[in-house]
Amino acid sequence: MKKKSLMFFLLLILVLSTALAACGGDKKESGKDADSSKEKTLVFGRGADSVKLDPAAVTDGESLGVAKNIFETLINFGEESTELVPGLATKWDTSDDGLQYTFELEKGVKFQDGTDFNAEAVVKNFERWMSGNAESTPYFQSMFGGFKGEKNAVIKEVKADGEDKVVITLFRAQAPFLKNLAMTPFSIASPTAFEKFGKDFYKNPVGTGPFTFVSWKRNDSITLEKYKDYRIEGLPKLDKVIFRSIPENSARLNALTTGDIDLADGINPTDAKAIESNDKLQLFKRPSMNVGYLGMTVTRKPFDDKKVRQAVNYAIDKQGLVDAFYEGQATVATNAMPPVITGFNEEIDAYPYDPAKAKALLKEAGYDGKEIELWAMPVPRPYMPDGQKMAEAIQKNLEDVGMKSKIVNYEWGTYLEKAAKGEADAFLLGWTGDNGDADNFLYTLLDEDSIGSNNYTFFKNSKTHKLLKDAQIEVDEAKREKLYKEAQVILHDEAPWVPLAYSTPLIAGIKEITGFKPHPTGSDRFDTIDIK
Amino acid sequence: MTSMLPKVEVEKQAQARSPFQDGFKSFRKNKIAVIGTIIVAFFVFLAVFGPWIAPQGVNEQNFKLKLLSPSASHWFGTDDFGRDIFSRVILGARLSLAVGFFSVIISIIVGSILGIIAGYYGRWVDTIISRIFDIILAFPSILLAIAIVTVLGPSLRNALIAIAIVNVPNFGRLIRSKVLSIKEEEYITAAKAIGMKDSRILFTHVLPNSMTPIIVQGTLAIATAIIEAAALGFLGLGARAPDPEWGKMLSDARIYLVNAPWTMIFPGLAIMLTVLGFNLMGDGLRDAFDPKMKS
Repeated sequence: MKKKSLMFFLLLILVLSTALAACGGDKKESGKDADSSKEKTLVFGRGADSVKLDPAAVTDGESLGVAKNIFETLINFGEESTELVPGLATKWDTSDDGLQYTFELEKGVKFQDGTDFNAEAVVKNFERWMSGNAESTPYFQSMFGGFKGEKNAVIKEVKADGEDKVVITLFRAQAPFLKNLAMTPFSIASPTAFEKFGKDFYKNPVGTGPFTFVSWKRNDSITLEKYKDYRIEGLPKLDKVIFRSIPENSARLNALTTGDIDLADGINPTDAKAIESNDKLQLFKRPSMNVGYLGMTVTRKPFDDKKVRQAVNYAIDKQGLVDAFYEGQATVATNAMPPVITGFNEEIDAYPYDPAKAKALLKEAGYDGKEIELWAMPVPRPYMPDGQKMAEAIQKNLEDVGMKSKIVNYEWGTYLEKAAKGEADAFLLGWTGDNGDADNFLYTLLDEDSIGSNNYTFFKNSKTHKLLKDAQIEVDEAKREKLYKEAQVILHDEAPWVPLAYSTPLIAGIKEITGFKPHPTGSDRFDTIDIK
Repeated sequence: MTSMLPKVEVEKQAQARSPFQDGFKSFRKNKIAVIGTIIVAFFVFLAVFGPWIAPQGVNEQNFKLKLLSPSASHWFGTDDFGRDIFSRVILGARLSLAVGFFSVIISIIVGSILGIIAGYYGRWVDTIISRIFDIILAFPSILLAIAIVTVLGPSLRNALIAIAIVNVPNFGRLIRSKVLSIKEEEYITAAKAIGMKDSRILFTHVLPNSMTPIIVQGTLAIATAIIEAAALGFLGLGARAPDPEWGKMLSDARIYLVNAPWTMIFPGLAIMLTVLGFNLMGDGLRDAFDPKMKS
């Protein structure tokens, strides 16, 4: 008995210490560096720290957001859109069969470590990605089919043609190829640096971007400094940018009002009015390119039945949710992709709120009244400011039509991991587009190829699979749009999700900030920002 | 011999009754204690008849009515789901009182058994049980409760169990010390001399004689238990949505602290009042019944 109780208490101590360790968030006060007379410093507060500062090695938004300011891509997205504009490449040509791309590079550009930027450097970057693996360059695999020598690989060969020209040959045409190249993960890094630092490159990032990396205090702050020889004259306007991690939305807003930080993302919609009426602050709205949804795992009962999934779609008062939890900063979602993206099917209407119809469908499906698990997101995300409260409202909606549910919470990492394995019955989640292409929503989130990665519902449909695969290689824009529209009709009917909202994420900053244009992808460039 | 026994019992009862009446009299004279009792009685009334008093149900959501300030139709205003806070506070009384009451009952039962065994048998049994109590008491109670709920999984029932476990040593120790002194009393020696079984001595002589401090301590412990349940609810480890548990209501309302303070004030007041009521009543009981306080 003594031994047993001893074991129990040892276990307790273990549990307690883990709990304590988890609670030990770093709340070191770094604040603003003492402003030396004219130096312009911007402190940006965000919800989490970066994982790695090597854009090729990550997929998380907080890493890419910083990388976007150190590195540049061959092609850029427009200031507030995902339209393609010149980046490090000034011009590009596509062969008629869509298999060969020729890029002309900007001349006289140097990496921040003094290395010349030229065709050879670009080729070395491609070599680095293509010879990587799922762990070292995860995004490359999902955007370009696979690595060198793999069956599904899209890129056949990348060759330098003189100093300033790069030719890329593909195995098969890929419609969003250029859009993919404009994504931050495919930024051009200094070959000298990644050859020298190898695995530790992510701690010593070197690119051609407007800011150079200075220091990184884990879970606290990342400091960047102006790159004096930046290729565009007059930019960047700031001398220093500090990225600070402040996990709690309200704490971050508080830091902004007290002047600890100058710009804060992840603003609660409920705080929007207070910010607008505060004459020291201004509110920025990020163009909406996301979708928040309730996913239903189709491999689990009762959601293996299409009628039950449709019933849930009828049961949920989407307009009510949007009004209550987004404070007007969102519209009701109708499809699995937002309307700003080409190929959006505006002929589809959201399932109307119709509890009677939902009840009838549940009855028809023979639903046995078994309690389901409803997973609620533990963290605020741009596409869903308060997962817990959304879940409570949905719980009530479902209860009204006779479906009992239990709200389940997990820590964010665990939540994603378990949901990816299909362990949830129904779960709240969302997605922000990375390149403004329909492929990045429909294929990434609802195709059978994405089961295990981003398709948490395990939805599988041979018709949509064919449509989405065809759309990937269709180069004719009009035909491509048609394929996506058709896929959306099927997805609407099969209803693996309840699309809930297309939200407008909010960012708040001090009044003195000018020239800040939030980008729909969620990663912002700070080179045009100035502080008056 | 046999004819002696009933006589002893009668005598004992006669002696026991009068201090109790004494205590009750002095309790009634204590105005603050009476106020505490009234508050407690009021909340007990709400807990029992809540569903008939509350104008609305627990979870009647209506987004059109969200975050309304207190008015004639919604006395305490509405929360972010448009639910009537007045109704939820009333209906929450049952949850909070139930957790407070039943967790203390469990603590008393388990604590009494362990305490009596430890005190009566002494030696190694006492050592083991007392050390276990020491270990439990070495943890800050809310931290231990959090750990237990983490292991069991968050729910109101598990919060109740956790609070009960945390409070066991308080009662255990109390009973043990009481038993240690009662054990030396002559009537116990007499009972042993006539060959009474241990279990009978424990439950008919020792336990009834240790009850007074338990009742006093129990009343005060209910107050603590209600606070702990609210704390666990606030941390998301107690009641689950949509239960109108006061601590959870506070936690749900915390982002509206500035914009809609009534979402926090009323559940907070409810917690404060109940705890105050139990504390005043407990203090009064102690003053009235604890022999040490009478001088």
